[in-house]
Amino acid sequence: MFRRSAISAQWAWLPLLCLTLPAVARTRPHYGGTLRIETQGDPWQMPDGTARRLVLDTLTTVSDAGGAQPALAIRWESQSAAHRWEFWIRPGVYFQDGEALTSDTVAAALTNVCARPVAGMGACPWKTVRGVGPSVVFVSEAPEPDLPELLAQTEFAIARQDSTGAMIGTGPFRVTGFANGALTLTANDDCWSGRPFADAVELRTRRTVRDQWLDLSVGKTDIVEVPPELLRQAQQQHLNVLASRPVDLLALTMEPSGWFASREMRQAAALAVDRTALYNVIFQKQGEVTASLLPQALGGYSFLFSTERDLDRARALRGGATTSALTLGLDTSAADMSATGQLAAERLALNLHEAGFNVQVAALGSHAKAELLLRRVHFEASSPQAALDEMLARFGQNSSVSGTDAASLWQEERGVLNTETVVPLLWLSRAWAVGERVRDLRLSPDGAPLLAGASVEVR
Amino acid sequence: MTLRQKMLLMLALTVMGVVAAVGWTGSVRVRHVFEAIDRQQTDMLVGQFQREFNQRASDTADAVRRMANSDVLQRIAFDLSNGGDSARYLTVALPLAQEYRLEYLELVAHDGSIISSLQWTARFGYKEPAIAAAGKPAFLKQEDLPDGTSQIGLFAARAVSGSDPPLYVVGGRQLGAEFLRDFPVPAGTQLLIYRNVSGPFDAHNFAGSNEGLAAADHYRALVDDARSNGNKVERVVYLTRRDEDSMSVTAIPLKAASGDVLAVLVVANSQRSMVEVQRHIRDIAFGIAGLGIIFAVLASLWIAARISRPIEELARAAGQVAAGDWETRVDIRSLDEVGDLARSFNNMTRQLAEQRERLVQTERVAAWRELARRLAHELKNPLMPLQITVENMVRAKKLPKKQFDEVFNESTTTLEEEIENLKTIVGRFSDFSKLPKPQVVEMDAREAVRRVVKLYGPALEEKHIELGTSITAEPLLIMGDSELLHRALSNLVLNAMDAMPEGGTLTVSAVRAKQTARISVADTGTGLTPEECERLFTPYYTTKQHGTGLGLAIVQSVITDHNGKITVESVEDGGARFVIELPLAGTAEA
Repeated sequence: MFRRSAISAQWAWLPLLCLTLPAVARTRPHYGGTLRIETQGDPWQMPDGTARRLVLDTLTTVSDAGGAQPALAIRWESQSAAHRWEFWIRPGVYFQDGEALTSDTVAAALTNVCARPVAGMGACPWKTVRGVGPSVVFVSEAPEPDLPELLAQTEFAIARQDSTGAMIGTGPFRVTGFANGALTLTANDDCWSGRPFADAVELRTRRTVRDQWLDLSVGKTDIVEVPPELLRQAQQQHLNVLASRPVDLLALTMEPSGWFASREMRQAAALAVDRTALYNVIFQKQGEVTASLLPQALGGYSFLFSTERDLDRARALRGGATTSALTLGLDTSAADMSATGQLAAERLALNLHEAGFNVQVAALGSHAKAELLLRRVHFEASSPQAALDEMLARFGQNSSVSGTDAASLWQEERGVLNTETVVPLLWLSRAWAVGERVRDLRLSPDGAPLLAGASVEVR
Repeated sequence: MTLRQKMLLMLALTVMGVVAAVGWTGSVRVRHVFEAIDRQQTDMLVGQFQREFNQRASDTADAVRRMANSDVLQRIAFDLSNGGDSARYLTVALPLAQEYRLEYLELVAHDGSIISSLQWTARFGYKEPAIAAAGKPAFLKQEDLPDGTSQIGLFAARAVSGSDPPLYVVGGRQLGAEFLRDFPVPAGTQLLIYRNVSGPFDAHNFAGSNEGLAAADHYRALVDDARSNGNKVERVVYLTRRDEDSMSVTAIPLKAASGDVLAVLVVANSQRSMVEVQRHIRDIAFGIAGLGIIFAVLASLWIAARISRPIEELARAAGQVAAGDWETRVDIRSLDEVGDLARSFNNMTRQLAEQRERLVQTERVAAWRELARRLAHELKNPLMPLQITVENMVRAKKLPKKQFDEVFNESTTTLEEEIENLKTIVGRFSDFSKLPKPQVVEMDAREAVRRVVKLYGPALEEKHIELGTSITAEPLLIMGDSELLHRALSNLVLNAMDAMPEGGTLTVSAVRAKQTARISVADTGTGLTPEECERLFTPYYTTKQHGTGLGLAIVQSVITDHNGKITVESVEDGGARFVIELPLAGTAEA
């Protein structure tokens, strides 16, 4: 009886198995199809750089768990107490035009990067870089224990220009066309990391979020951006949203000159800031209120920096002095900063006004002479030490991180923040809304969509 | 100025005065008319503004009321009253404002904190006191904006229907350029609103037409006055130095419910038309005045022919009469007053000539009579002794020869003396008639004086007469005949000596007086009466018992021949002073 039942049971779940098979087939990635993605920012410049990420590769990458892992470099070694680094180049890697990747082309590409400093990026951490046989040797004046992780930053991607001046790399896609505002990237069949699932990526840039969402809703695109302040709305609309860990720091910086030459004045301004209002209302409770340069999850000590507003103390520190009109500028290098950033800047100006500062928000893009600047700074590193290093560099701080443990990092960061030139406000995530056709899309540790690993469901 | 010129001037001034009076009256009248039109236009615009203002207030209040009753806001109020997150509604003001066509909109929680603000999104959480006016009529309110400026708007506040605790809606519409744009403003009129009245004057706070904004800076004083005193202010504002670029400007303060001035409505009417009309009138007046002057010239010429020319002839004839031409006559050309005047003038000159003739005859007779009297008197004295002597000689013929011889000798002596006396008298008359012409040479008048003083010095001493001299040190060069002048001065000194028989003081001086040599001879005698002074130089007039009355006449004749002048005056303390003035050499008339 029991056996018959068992046999019956075996046959019974056969229909279920038949029903499940298509589902299993659906989840398996397929080659082919075109991935359509829309963004606001510049496809070749950070922090967006979607095209840059698809076309170019870096020597290393960072893993989700933190730490560098091989990419164009297969291994590396430090010498002389991290003053000298040697990276061995992966053999058999070719640029998209068929030219082989060598240590010399890598050194030349990295030298080019340093020769053209990018806005928001600090100086190159090395003094010289050169190709030595199959390896690239970096020599720096200060110890650079985080160099493998720093080289994972997209700014340090290896690129060269072909005879037409077009940028080519070793990445999974290559640029094949630009029409009607859309950049077409075709799969690189010979990519060292393997051919991507999608045959092509259609990248439409400089689209407003509103247009992106509209296109997604009518099926004209597959992947669109979701700014933090709209994340809750996207969830309410039941969009398929992928959100990163906190990767963008919203911070107020003060020029230590003129009215803010005095540390007391900078401290007064910092104490006048109401982070809670920014978090609760403008950014719709998304992100993380902070007074630290590292997210709590990464540094572990963020809570030690007070985020409380102390208006009375701010007024006391400012004293009775009448301020001349101060300007609060807005760093618009982050494309999605325009509207929300303007609102946040106006709120900060109101906060500062309550403390007695006469602050006017400058028009977008006219922050050249602003005493205060609202910035949204992106970081890519995944280890606390490298992340702090990167943040210090992006905020133009000359100090470099020497310790590796949390206490040392805290001390290091406290020293920087005590100058009151940088006032961290909020940590924000990056998020993307994904259409139904897209499968297996993941985000990189810095919140960029890993399009090479995603596939398109062709119906 | 001649009579003709006076008449010309008078006529021209009369014409110009009349024209100026008419022009001024017309100009003033035109100004009054234009001012009245300006006032009417301003009142009309202000009235229209008031109506539009009320209409907009009503529309705003209606929009806010409809919004407060809308399902959307009732749902939001319900959500919030049930613990909903107000942050979700941060930007809800934007679509609501678009739907209800409001330019300002705030959703305000029951505690007054802003949930959503259209005009200043970042102000969420701050207090909005305008909810106190919920349910009341629309009101003016100054709204601060993120860029640091302020705008004036018409606002209404209302609680959302059925909300508990209440959720308020504060909506409004701008009272600026858009509002003014709908106004049918006549050409030459500007309508502006000055906002943000709390700070110092800034022309950028004006809203209105571009033409008006270009001139906004000139309305500073007007706006400041209206802001400070809260009353309507009217003034003429000059945009440039030219009159036609002036504006008649009225500034009307717009007040909030509290009475605070929130904005100033400026109505400016161009005075160009008025100035042009006034200028036209002035040009016409100038033209008429010019024509009037030409008319005055022509009229004066005509009148001169009729009136002034006979008068001018009369004036010329009168001048000729004054110059001694007693035979001057004027033509009688009309029968009017001027003709009567000419006729009278001719009669007058005729009578004057006749009277002068009669006077000359009378004087001639008188002179002859005086001469006869003097001659009779002078000759009578020697004749009487002659007659007596002759009668004695006749009677002596009967006497013995010796006695007769004595009488005869005595009588012949007497006859000879009296005959000599008669010859002297006749000689004096002859001298006067034959006074020689002076032989002038350059001489020093002081020498003539010194010569006389020296000559009569001893005689004066004998008669106990004290001599005082005052002769200037500088030369008194004159053109003169020294002998004749000596004779004249001697006569004066002798007369003085005769006037002081009991002694006295004779003062002789010679000084320079301007362009003359002034010689004076003064005595301290009995002096002269005014009548004597007047007649003293008349020939044959004498105050002395045995004088011929020719001495001073000779003195005057000599001095006159030297182009000089002699006067006599009575001295206060007694005595007389003769003063001779002779022109210095180089100044004497030829």
